[in-house]
Amino acid sequence: MSTLVNAAPEVASTTPRRSRLTAAKRRQYGAAYVLVMPFFIIFVAMVVVPLFYAGYLSFYKERLIGGTSFVGFQNYADALTDPLFLSGIFRMAIFLVVQVPIMIALALFFALAIDSGMMKLAKFSRLAIFVPYAVPGVVATLMWGYLYGRDFGPFAQLSRALGFGPPPFFTENGMLFSIMNIVNWEFIGYNMIIIYAALRSLPSELYEAARVDGASEPRVAWSIKIPAVRPALLLTVIFSVIGTFQLFNEPKLMYPLAPNVIGTAWSPNLYAYNIAFVNQDANYAAALAFLLGIVIMIVSYIVQLSNQRKERRS
Amino acid sequence: MSATPFTRRKFLISTAAAASSAWFLAACSGGEAETPAAAPQSPSQVPQADIDAAMNTETTLTFWTWVPDIQNEVKLFTTKYPKIKVNVTNVGQGAPHYQKLRTAIQSGQGAPDVAQVEFQYINSFTLGEGNLLDLTPYAPPALKDSYPEWVWSQVNTNGGLWGIPQDTGPMGLLYREDLLQQAGIEPPKTYEDFAAAAQTYRTKNPDSYLVNVAPSQAGQMIAYMWQAGVRPFTFDGQQTVKVDLASEQAKSVVKFWGDLVTSGTASNDTDFNDSWYQGLANGKYATLPIAAWGPVFLQGTAGKTSGKWRATDLPQWDPSTLVSSNWGGSTDAVLKLSKNQIAASQLALFINTDKESALKFANEQFLFPAMKEILTDPSFLNQEFKFYGGQKVNEKFAQISETVGTDFQWLPFMDFVYTNFTETLGKAFADKTDAVAGLQAWQDACAKYAKDQGFTVA
Amino acid sequence: MTDAIPGKHRPAVVAAEGFPVLVERDRDQEAQAERRRPRKPTSWLLTVFMLICVGYFLFPLFWLVVASTKSNDDLFSSFGLWFADFNLVENIQTVLTFQDGVFIRWAVNSVIYAVVSAVGASFLATAAGYGFAKYQFPGSVALFSITLGAIMIPLAALTVPTYLLFAEAGLTDTYWAIILPSLATPFGVFLMRVYAADAVDDALIEAGRVDGVGELRIFFTIALRLLLPGSVTVLLFTLVATWNNYFLPLIMLNSADKFPLTVGLALWQSAAAGGGGAQALFSTVITGSLLAIIPLVIAFLFLQRYWQSGLATGGVKT
Repeated sequence: MSTLVNAAPEVASTTPRRSRLTAAKRRQYGAAYVLVMPFFIIFVAMVVVPLFYAGYLSFYKERLIGGTSFVGFQNYADALTDPLFLSGIFRMAIFLVVQVPIMIALALFFALAIDSGMMKLAKFSRLAIFVPYAVPGVVATLMWGYLYGRDFGPFAQLSRALGFGPPPFFTENGMLFSIMNIVNWEFIGYNMIIIYAALRSLPSELYEAARVDGASEPRVAWSIKIPAVRPALLLTVIFSVIGTFQLFNEPKLMYPLAPNVIGTAWSPNLYAYNIAFVNQDANYAAALAFLLGIVIMIVSYIVQLSNQRKERRS
Repeated sequence: MSATPFTRRKFLISTAAAASSAWFLAACSGGEAETPAAAPQSPSQVPQADIDAAMNTETTLTFWTWVPDIQNEVKLFTTKYPKIKVNVTNVGQGAPHYQKLRTAIQSGQGAPDVAQVEFQYINSFTLGEGNLLDLTPYAPPALKDSYPEWVWSQVNTNGGLWGIPQDTGPMGLLYREDLLQQAGIEPPKTYEDFAAAAQTYRTKNPDSYLVNVAPSQAGQMIAYMWQAGVRPFTFDGQQTVKVDLASEQAKSVVKFWGDLVTSGTASNDTDFNDSWYQGLANGKYATLPIAAWGPVFLQGTAGKTSGKWRATDLPQWDPSTLVSSNWGGSTDAVLKLSKNQIAASQLALFINTDKESALKFANEQFLFPAMKEILTDPSFLNQEFKFYGGQKVNEKFAQISETVGTDFQWLPFMDFVYTNFTETLGKAFADKTDAVAGLQAWQDACAKYAKDQGFTVA
Repeated sequence: MTDAIPGKHRPAVVAAEGFPVLVERDRDQEAQAERRRPRKPTSWLLTVFMLICVGYFLFPLFWLVVASTKSNDDLFSSFGLWFADFNLVENIQTVLTFQDGVFIRWAVNSVIYAVVSAVGASFLATAAGYGFAKYQFPGSVALFSITLGAIMIPLAALTVPTYLLFAEAGLTDTYWAIILPSLATPFGVFLMRVYAADAVDDALIEAGRVDGVGELRIFFTIALRLLLPGSVTVLLFTLVATWNNYFLPLIMLNSADKFPLTVGLALWQSAAAGGGGAQALFSTVITGSLLAIIPLVIAFLFLQRYWQSGLATGGVKT
């Protein structure tokens, strides 16, 4: 928060109102509660309560024969040694390290390009890149699933015409790329808009000086604009981190196309879902989900920390 | 057709033909006899008076099923019993349907009265306290005789009648006559012939395969095993299960298909998706080992190959016998927690045993019938399918239906078994690695799951 | 994220926090800035490159349009990216009448879920964000931290327990089962808090208090108008998230007549792919998908004009 705006109320409220501090403040706090409570009630009911219930569930185990019994941290211990869970986490880490930088870099590039004023059809481009965000995951996966098709997808047809075999979209490693591509397609636009909005709010005085000095547009972009939108970039990175570890829709919808590659545990979230609904094991699923949440928090914290360190250095 | 004459007629027939094994002689089509006297009933039967009373009370039933257009059959029921209203809902096909059913049962909320349950899932719902209503007291005592023995043994297990059979899926072989002729191959009668034919076909057709081995289709692989006499699962209705997927017999079946895949003679494409349908439409696969619901299904997706397909028996392991197996097939079951048990059971019974309704299923929705009466009905048998060059496909599959091996049981957690197949044996097919090793992995995973869940593994 | 950016510049409004603001500098400033900006050469290289990238984003949609014009058979036998026989009208008819027009029902459901959830969530987030921003009440830090933390919770942890709890309350398979969970947007509260901190100047609030206006009335009559652009952002993103939501309705709903388009289309898709009495529904699924994305695309176009109208951030000079 810019310090300038905050300074005023500090001065205004404390000095002359000392005598009526309590009553006024009480009234204000009351109003604040009224404003915040509706959200909070829903939040508690829809998020906190199920969360606690999930936590409770994670300490129990239910078997098809024998019913429910308390097992302490057994579910967590099992999860931490579960190769399916761990490989899912590892796969998401790869996703994170490869896909997120590419996605953010492209989003940044597109945002800068559109903001630069150096291209025609900027508005059209902006909308066109953003449109995939409007497409539900079901439809996106349907489309890309077809396009990836080994026999009749256009890529395969093209590569066959050129004399090569079909592109390996559905192999073990190929699937990683295929899903990364779908996620990029869906979300580059969303991230681009966030960065673009940040760019648009930069006052032009910021880089007028540089332009007058003869700096080229790319130079301006690199040295001035990018650092200026660092907070927006940080935001997109953090949300991408969270989104990556929570990946569910795309692998789930790709499953019918390549069930042996996706399996039940391609992403940790998918694994938890299958444990809950196919294995009928809500308890283990709860433990998995909690561990996943912890992983997400750790990674987000690391990202923020490294950003702060970079900022302090610059 | 009211319930009473049906009961009486079947009762009379069953007493007369008690020990007869020639079931297709015992079943007779034709009008029902109206006999006025009250039928003698076994002690556990629900009295007819109670049934009549229930059917005359305003009731609303919820029915979960994914059979398309089932409204037509339900309408016959509600026309007969105007006081009963039926809400038909499709909550998903296969796995999602069962997931919803289980969660609804677990929460006690929102479960239907009647639900479609495939044969292989019945045991998963009769586990422990059991969630399905034993329909023995609600069904006519001689219902058993309406079905081939193997069908009855699928629904009448561990001392109860858990569902009314609706349709079945006896396994046969569909093939492209033109493609086989081009390659100079006769439809193979044994698996040995089949492997040789696959080889020949492949050498002559570099872009096409004789057969596909789907890496995610547990149902089909289990059907292959069933045909070979493998009985991998037993469940005693209580706590004991047997998991024996890696028997010598099973291994030889799996090795057969595995070898075809690793040698490149058979393709290993995932089935039931766009690519696969296109493959069928474009001649990538010359044969299709599939269940009796396959023929009509194929018509919908491979329209432009009409007239070129034929149906025959699966290849055999033993050339001196003709044995088949089953893949799929459903029943309608009543949930124990239904508040309208009588009405619900009558719904399940009516739509699946009333002749008009059952014929509708067979002729309009192309569900392959479970009942002997329909299996021998001329209007069903004599249909000539243009898609199959005028062949009477129903007749062929009706013959096959007689050869399905009996005594096949299912584990009470087939959801897990099927999904795990894709990660173990199915994966071996997909990756072209050792199928027998994949089979062992599947066996181990299922046995472990059973133990983890508290079962005694025999 | 709240550390002030030292000296180099004073970014306008809340863009310093770098979140999607639907606010632009006011028209005058904008025009002035344009005039002061030297003419920049159009880089054709850049334009062409960008258009190629645009092609990447649009071509699956192009495929969808082309595929929607084909009949079932043509889908499997013709080249994917170009037309065959034109069957669009029949396809659309099939989509709208199949299973007694359940598609229209699904579309209506999607609209209801999305609009109600978006409006409700936006309002709740605006109120809460404003409350957090303008009042340092006891517990505000704790509550806000909890809200932030919630953003990281994986949905898989919540759905089964939420389902079970809803089942207890008899709320599964109802419209509320979708709307209620969608009303809580921790992300929206975070956005609005940051936005409200700068969009509504404390001086204005003080002025209101001096005039004797009640706190809540200040909110409704003064602040709300200033918060509107931020609220619209939250509304837009909740709208999209709810419209596209697949997981939640998948778990909560059983009756087909309550499904939104996402679940309905997935159901048709799996019916098309399944065996045993299945019908070949591909052309219907594809055409249905096309129809399903049109409303949101139109909404995006419409809202884009709204963004570009250059809203002011209220009567306070930046």
